[in-house]
Formats: sequence, C-alpha cells, structure tokens
Amino acid sequence: MLETSVLIENVDGARLSDKATENATSNYSLNVSLSERDRGSESLVLSFTLELTSQPQTARLRVSGSATLKGSKDEIKEGITAPDDSRPPPVLVAIYERIYGTLYVLSGALKIPHPMPNLLKKQS
Amino acid sequence: MYSGVIRFYSLVDVRRYLKELLERYQKDYDKSSNVIGSLLRTEGGKGMEVIMSKGWAKVGSMFVNVSDPDKGGMEVTFQLVSEMKPRISKTEEVLKTFESVEQLPIQADATFLLYLHGGIPERLVIDSTEAKPETFNLKGAYTMGP
Repeated sequence: MLETSVLIENVDGARLSDKATENATSNYSLNVSLSERDRGSESLVLSFTLELTSQPQTARLRVSGSATLKGSKDEIKEGITAPDDSRPPPVLVAIYERIYGTLYVLSGALKIPHPMPNLLKKQS
Repeated sequence: MYSGVIRFYSLVDVRRYLKELLERYQKDYDKSSNVIGSLLRTEGGKGMEVIMSKGWAKVGSMFVNVSDPDKGGMEVTFQLVSEMKPRISKTEEVLKTFESVEQLPIQADATFLLYLHGGIPERLVIDSTEAKPETFNLKGAYTMGP
C-alpha cells in the first residue's frame, strides 16, 4: 500500500489589498509545481510548490516542501498518474489535503478568504 | 539481518546507500558495545561470566530464558555485537573498493540490483534491460471546491 508523507519546508502568505476579507467569496486559482528530487526502488521524493492566488488578486498563499511516496514501483506510478486529463494525480490530492490545515490557519490570520478544501480539476 | 535485492537507478545511489548502511551498522554497534562495556566496567574483574546467563532452556526449537532476563538480554546483545563486527568490516571493504565498480564501462541508462545477504552487500547486477523511470515533473493550474 502506498504511503505518502508530506513535509512543509516554507510557507508564505500575503494580503495584497485592504479589500480582502475573510468573508469574501473564496475564489483562488492554484498553480502547482511538482518535481522529482530523489528516486529509489521503493520510494520517490518530490519537491512541491503550491501557489494560491485569489481572483481578484487580493491575497496570495504559497507553500513548498517535499512529499515522499513509499510503495512498490506500480503503486508509486499509480500515485503520480492522473486518472484522466482533467483531474489531479493522487499525490497532488494528498499533498493538498495535508497542507490544507496550514492554508486555513494562515488565511484566517491574514483575514483573507479561506481556500476551499478539495482539489477539483485541472484548468485548461 | 536483512537479505534481499534492492534496485537503484544510479551508481551514485548505490554508493550513498552503502555509506548510509555502514553508518547505521556503526551506530548500532557503538550503542550495543557501550551497553556491554559499561556493564563489564561496573562488574570490574569478573570477566565474561557477568553476561553469560545460566537461565536458558530449550523449548521447541528455541532457547528461552525466563529466570534471568537481565543477563539473558545482555548475552544476546553481546552475541549481536559479535555478529556486527564482520558485517561492518565487509561493508567497509565494499565501500572502499567501490571505485573499481564505478570505473566499469556502464551504459548511462543502466539500473542496478544490489543483493544483500545477512546485511552484507554481496553482489551487484548491472541491468540495462530495466529502464530507469522517466523523471516525474508536473506543472499545472487547478480549481478548488467545497
């Protein structure tokens, strides 16, 4: 069974406008970068950066770190493969789930809209 | 101790693994030998009988110790330390001479199967048929929802 562990290495948040409020409608776009850092026979370490920018641009959140996948070669392959072109790969869903608590607390502290908890689809 | 086969995707990874393996063995050895050493010093002059338990009985196909757990535990720790020495020296030797493996003419996309026997790296298979997986990279934009 695939095990995924996530380590946050950097967190950055900015309130870009006085117009940002906690109660405003949450409308973030998420830019994702995942890159292979290290690979073993039964493990894969990825560096990740997730950057959320609100629309209109009143707030920005950025979290980076590493995700380690442990499992068989096939399990790892499945973990990094998106089920289809529009959906995120399972590893990205796992990363977002693990960092969501941090995003929630940070957005609350900055008094900007809380991001939504689920990753939905890839923007074309 | 571990016996099995581990696949690596570069010789650098094999070397790094061997180095970490040796460090782990040395750390375990230091920890266990410190325990034994401190007991022998405490019981100064008594020699090996301090860690040899008389409470062993053969039960089924195992030796079981119910009457003398302290000495029994110390005795198996001592046995462990004795077994660690050759494992450390063999792994050290493999690492010292690993340069000769690195100098072999090896295809750039080769992968490596390391065979460990009782924790000792004994054999290395250079495999050009199992290709290294493509490096994973992903960039994209996603939406979020409730």
